Amino acid sequence: MNQLTRSQIRDLMEQVLKNQGKVLPDDDAADLREIGFRSLDFSELALRVEDETGEELNFDAPGLRRIATVGDVLDFLLQLQQQ
Amino acid sequence: MSHATSRTVPAAHGEPAGLDNRVVVGGTALTWRTLPDVRLPEPAAALADSGRDALAAARHHATHGTELLLTTLSRVDDTMRADLRDSGFTVTTLRDGVPESVPPARPRPAEPGRLWLLTSGSTGRPKRVGHTLESLTTVRGTQAGRTWLCPYAPGSYAWWQVVTLSLTQPGQDLVVVEPGELDDWPAIAAAHGVDAASGTPTFWRRTIYRDGAALSRVPLRQITLGGEPVDQAILDQLRELFPAARISWIYASSEVGASIVVHDGQAGFPVRWLDQAAAGRPTLSVRDEELVISSPYHGVGLDGPVRTGDRVRIEGDRVLITGRLDSDEINVGGSKASAGAVRDVLTAHPAVAWARVTGRRAPLLGRMVVADVVLTPGAEQPDEAALVRWCADRLPEHAVPRRIRVLTEIPVKETLKSDV
Repeated sequence: MNQLTRSQIRDLMEQVLKNQGKVLPDDDAADLREIGFRSLDFSELALRVEDETGEELNFDAPGLRRIATVGDVLDFLLQLQQQ
Repeated sequence: MSHATSRTVPAAHGEPAGLDNRVVVGGTALTWRTLPDVRLPEPAAALADSGRDALAAARHHATHGTELLLTTLSRVDDTMRADLRDSGFTVTTLRDGVPESVPPARPRPAEPGRLWLLTSGSTGRPKRVGHTLESLTTVRGTQAGRTWLCPYAPGSYAWWQVVTLSLTQPGQDLVVVEPGELDDWPAIAAAHGVDAASGTPTFWRRTIYRDGAALSRVPLRQITLGGEPVDQAILDQLRELFPAARISWIYASSEVGASIVVHDGQAGFPVRWLDQAAAGRPTLSVRDEELVISSPYHGVGLDGPVRTGDRVRIEGDRVLITGRLDSDEINVGGSKASAGAVRDVLTAHPAVAWARVTGRRAPLLGRMVVADVVLTPGAEQPDEAALVRWCADRLPEHAVPRRIRVLTEIPVKETLKSDV
């Protein structure tokens, strides 16, 4: 299975924000609310990961968890690829 | 088992008024009268291999009133053949004017004058809708002489619209384009003096995209659009190419016939047309965002208000038809987006020749709006981010397509529609 690295997912996240006229900070601890990364952006990022890997992500698998920072998003998508 | 049939056919209809109109098919100029004669059993399910075979079958019906279901050879699979034979039809393949027939599994008496159309049906399985030549003929008043292009698949509702016009009105000639000739139709049309053409918005977009210069050489005086939602962008593009032509869009289906005809060059129809009951005219209504039509041109068994399955929205003083109810509404995290409205915004971009908008499964929100586009050759090519910004300036946030894929060619089906 073709998996993206954390760094590749970060590049995609940067692209999603750039398309919205926003900037992704270098700090993984940055708060998503403060940088304006919202549900629509998260969903778009997930679709971009799917398009890059050619695999559908299974969002039902890991269960709900708190996603509050940039690092949470990257970890979550990294984990989803491994399901 | 197959055999040529020689069953006799009762005369019912008589000579159609347009019998001496010119009919160009396969590059050869004939008239309805000089088309090869074809003998059909009845009731017949005629599977035509070419436009010429289909026209010959239509003329046979118009002259003799033979109960007929007419479609293309490629549209009918083995299951459908068996179903037709179970329903009492002799299944007749027409190739170069030669009929080959398989008798019905359950013979029944024919219903003189009956014409059957195969529609796509809501289940994806074709269903039969009963008509007559009369109920399929929607242009009745005397018309200026025209040479019409017929680009449609034989036996479809749109095909019958053009064919009945030519069969029933003197001075309405016909130039038939076979599916294999579709990409070159402007050259064929220009060579044979076509000055009126009817097609889906996808058909027109595709033609402008492939070779707008070739299209502008066709001396069109009447341009008709139908079969799909008609947006302002395509009407404006055609107006620019043909400033003097009458540009009309028509809402018609095998279920309710031709019910809306608009000539003012604007997308949608005036709000004041809603709920206006008049004898002999369709009544248009909106129920729960769905277009509902009571039509005198309905298919058999479909009298009274018919829910069309088409979604509408009212914008200012116009009623816009945005797409099919089951595919137009995209629920993005509880907020509703109209695929048709998003498509209209995309096609209004000067560099977008065609767009398809759909919902795609997405986390958190359930679905997200995504799009495929074909860009206009020669125009400055926007990237995905620029198209997203274009939409973001014109649509609510949840309706903005976040993934926009650029295709190299406008996809088209046999019906000349896209899956939009």
